[in-house]
Amino acid sequence: MNDIKDHSSARSRISTTITYLVMIFFTVMALYPLFWLILSSFKTTTEFQMNKLGFPRRWVTINYKDAWVRGKFPVLIANSLFYTTVTTLAILLLSFMAGFGFSKIRHKATAVLHGSFVIGILLTLQSIMVPLFLIVNWVGLYNTRLGVLIPYIGIGMPMGVYLGTEYIRSIPDALVESARIDGASYSHIFWRIIVPMAAPVGMTVAILTVTGTWNEFMLINILTSSDALKSLPVGVQKFAGALSTDYGKQFAALTIGLIPMLLFYLIFRKEITKGVAAGAVKG
Amino acid sequence: MVRLVCTKYELMNRRLHPVGMMGKKGEGKTLNKMVLTDHLEVEMTGLRKVAVLLLALVVLGTSLVAQGVKADAEDGKITLNVLNYIDMSEPNSANEVKMIWDRFEQENPDIKIVREDLFNEPFHYKTEAYIASGQLPDVVYMWPSGRSTSLHTTGSVKDLMPLLERDGLVKDYNPAALAPQFAGFLGELPNGITTTHMLFVNKKVLRDNGLPITTDFNEMKKMVPVLKAKGIELIAMDNMDDWVMQSCLFSMVVGRYGGVDWYDRLEAGQLKFTDPWFVKSLELIDDMYKSGMINRNTLGSPYGASRSSFATGKAAFLIDGDWATGSFMTDVTTGDALINAKAQADDFELMVITNLPGEVVHNSNSGVVGTGWGMSADIPAGSAREEAAWRLIKFLQGEYVQTYRLTTGASFPSNLKVDVAKIAREENLEPFITKRADYYNNYVPITPVIDGVLHSDVFNVINKGLQEIGLGSKAPSVVAAEVQRAWEAFLKN
Amino acid sequence: MAKVRTMADARREQRRAYWTLVLPGFLLYISVMAFPTIFSVVLSLTNYNGGKLFGGRVPIELVGLKWYQRLIVDEYFYLALKNNLWIVMVSVFGQIPLGFFLAYVLYRGLVKGRDFFQTMIYLPTVISTVVIGILWKSFFAPHGAFPELMRFFMPGYEYSLSQHPMIPVLFVILWMYSGMYMIIFIANLQKIDNTIIEAARIDGASEMQVLRYVILPALSGVIVVTAILAISGSLKSFDLIFIMTAGGPANRTSVLSIYMFDKAFKGAPNYPLANAISTVMVIISFFLIGLTKFAENKFGGRE
Repeated sequence: MNDIKDHSSARSRISTTITYLVMIFFTVMALYPLFWLILSSFKTTTEFQMNKLGFPRRWVTINYKDAWVRGKFPVLIANSLFYTTVTTLAILLLSFMAGFGFSKIRHKATAVLHGSFVIGILLTLQSIMVPLFLIVNWVGLYNTRLGVLIPYIGIGMPMGVYLGTEYIRSIPDALVESARIDGASYSHIFWRIIVPMAAPVGMTVAILTVTGTWNEFMLINILTSSDALKSLPVGVQKFAGALSTDYGKQFAALTIGLIPMLLFYLIFRKEITKGVAAGAVKG
Repeated sequence: MVRLVCTKYELMNRRLHPVGMMGKKGEGKTLNKMVLTDHLEVEMTGLRKVAVLLLALVVLGTSLVAQGVKADAEDGKITLNVLNYIDMSEPNSANEVKMIWDRFEQENPDIKIVREDLFNEPFHYKTEAYIASGQLPDVVYMWPSGRSTSLHTTGSVKDLMPLLERDGLVKDYNPAALAPQFAGFLGELPNGITTTHMLFVNKKVLRDNGLPITTDFNEMKKMVPVLKAKGIELIAMDNMDDWVMQSCLFSMVVGRYGGVDWYDRLEAGQLKFTDPWFVKSLELIDDMYKSGMINRNTLGSPYGASRSSFATGKAAFLIDGDWATGSFMTDVTTGDALINAKAQADDFELMVITNLPGEVVHNSNSGVVGTGWGMSADIPAGSAREEAAWRLIKFLQGEYVQTYRLTTGASFPSNLKVDVAKIAREENLEPFITKRADYYNNYVPITPVIDGVLHSDVFNVINKGLQEIGLGSKAPSVVAAEVQRAWEAFLKN
Repeated sequence: MAKVRTMADARREQRRAYWTLVLPGFLLYISVMAFPTIFSVVLSLTNYNGGKLFGGRVPIELVGLKWYQRLIVDEYFYLALKNNLWIVMVSVFGQIPLGFFLAYVLYRGLVKGRDFFQTMIYLPTVISTVVIGILWKSFFAPHGAFPELMRFFMPGYEYSLSQHPMIPVLFVILWMYSGMYMIIFIANLQKIDNTIIEAARIDGASEMQVLRYVILPALSGVIVVTAILAISGSLKSFDLIFIMTAGGPANRTSVLSIYMFDKAFKGAPNYPLANAISTVMVIISFFLIGLTKFAENKFGGRE
């Protein structure tokens, strides 16, 4: 017995060390590029050319000042916050509603309606860009905030409805039925039972929507023309142009584009990881 | 601390009871009883509460401020919508707004400009979206062909020649700049003439390695081993974007082998792409890759990426278009320059590759009319709006703006009123500008640029074919055959 | 409070509730996605050639499947398709196993500081593709940081990635999303009933055997879900590649969505062809997902 124990503990020490190394390796892989980016943003472009990998010999902050002013970031960040928050809340509400309706109320139309949502998951943005532009113009919503919100919400619906329906389906019918027997209205059931219970999948949908909307950079250019309405990724892209040689400002712009999401993630990371997990768990 | 307990549940033994929100256990109707396992707790600590509150405030704030920005027609003022192309990372781009756009509004108080700034891909697909919906802004930045082809071919922009003639301005412009563009009319009033091939020479690198200062093709080839030993590239180039090779080198080569009128003869059916003039051009490019004059890894270099390496001496030459000179010059806001004025004078030259083996024409360069401004065809002729838009275009291509663009190296004027030599002397312009003026004088005649005369169905095949040659995956003769096929298919339509 | 309600009343209330719940979202979705999609499919059957879509100079006519035929013989279409399949491969056989491996290590507590590792490895997923695309584009350029880094480990390194431009792209895709799968697997691993594992242990099963006979079968359902997510994501993927290479030298890194974008917006737009491509993409997605579901039914998931 002692022999076996010794062998296995020696082996397990080696394998533990190896596993640690592997985990550290992956963490470094995940973090290094961002670290490199931030470091590089504190170098002037000329220094960056000479010294791509090392620490800045002279730390400069002018890149940030320049990028911030030229890129008009304050407005863009405010817009991004606005679009993301409103879109996410709207999608959550509508997805829960539809999910409840589809999974707890029997109706012949469900197959068709639900199915059409699911197909939406497979559709790409590029194929609808130009027709969407036409519609938005036609109803007079071009270059307005509402004209950005409605497409954003519409595009996020399929995933929300799909995940929402799947999850709410697994809430026992018995709960709903007995509530009905007790005389509760559907509205009561929705707000008091379904919504609290679907919070995990709500988290998942919220996270997907937040990351998707915040990082969206193509449609916003089509739907708006004035800078006052544009979002953060547009500002970042301005520094990555065809003729861009000014790496210093480019990296500063990238870092600025990176920070809000990073903060969001670090503050809410527990919820995020739990939410992604819970929502994707079947049943 | 507020505890928000949200529950996920599990059905066990048919006993269920819910736990309501806000942590009050057992509240609400006990409909059925449910045993809880797994709960998700969101602990709202102080920090989180603050973060959420802040978020809510910002959202409220931004939603209260303006629902949308629409162009209002104020009394007496005409509002012009302008689609502008501007690259924020170019030196001097921020200054442009002040110097050009603000100035116009000052001088023309009865016109209000609503400007949309985009560039690169977003610019192009937004333009296409505008065309498809019939909503083109009043004044647009555009190319004489190339990416703006559809603006010409769909008649979305007006012919500006009649307006020029009406105002007697034809004599003010370089005649070459007023030549008919892709669809046969003057769709845009150009900034100037652009030559698409410029060989930037780093004399310092050549001197330091005991090499002659020459741009003779064969001499350049001999330099490759010497430089490679020192880890220096012969020619830096950014070939990941497919148009670069075609525009900045190949067009010049084709001009040398095909003669000044190769396009006219092609159109007349006298030439085919499978004839020697084109195949030899392709073979020259192939040779440059194979001999290491151009490193194959340039295909992984995105456009603009190698400029700084060139400036710091990692390559002896750089091939780019004449517009690239601006990127090396000083940024007035920061005082930084990739190549400072002294280095511009002493260590660098602006030239072209000369003496291609077997060339028919010597010292020619590929050139095309530059970008400029066009007017939407939707504006009724003779209307006040047309007048306003025309005033804007005249201003943008007038003496003031073109002089400004000359000093920043943005473009070389098409307006003859701009006296380049005089300004160079008086304004103490950077050496690159005078060198650029000399360069235009040294290298004539001008031959056509491929994407300036051919339709995209054809030049896209050429672009891709050149990249295939760069990758070593297609032979020149194969590419030539493909281009000929594309040309014939185009002619049939 | 007892309300006297008939069955009909109840059913009416039910129907009203159904439509109130479902209709708003549905209408919004339809107006944003349905019309454009139908429009684009119809357009793919016409000879539209640029210019105003409505009220333009040239009337638009239906031409049937002409563009689809054109598509089938285009070599670049197959090149793009091939790249898409590469991405699907990397996603399904790279991200998912990697995610699982990392999840397993953390779940089994083989290393301490699980929270930290979890957070860090998931981080890339939340960052904007614009930022990531530009970052890696600079990094992998011939004069970028990558060659310098390689030269640090291998002096005299010759940059040759431009010959295989898909590799950086695949690498970044792997880097970016493995963390997401890791999180999903961790959660599901936690769901597995510990008693079964303990029982197996007591019976003398080794780590490997527990993995093979207990854990993997329990996770098969989740693996299928993640595979579906991965496949549909891979076929749509556009943002990252567009920023990094825009289709790369000579279309070498082109994928279907970029190929379609090029046709729609580069040079003279060919919207019908582009829309034909997007229709084909949807069909392929259907097909692959159907295949996955079929595999699930066949090789069965025991939850």
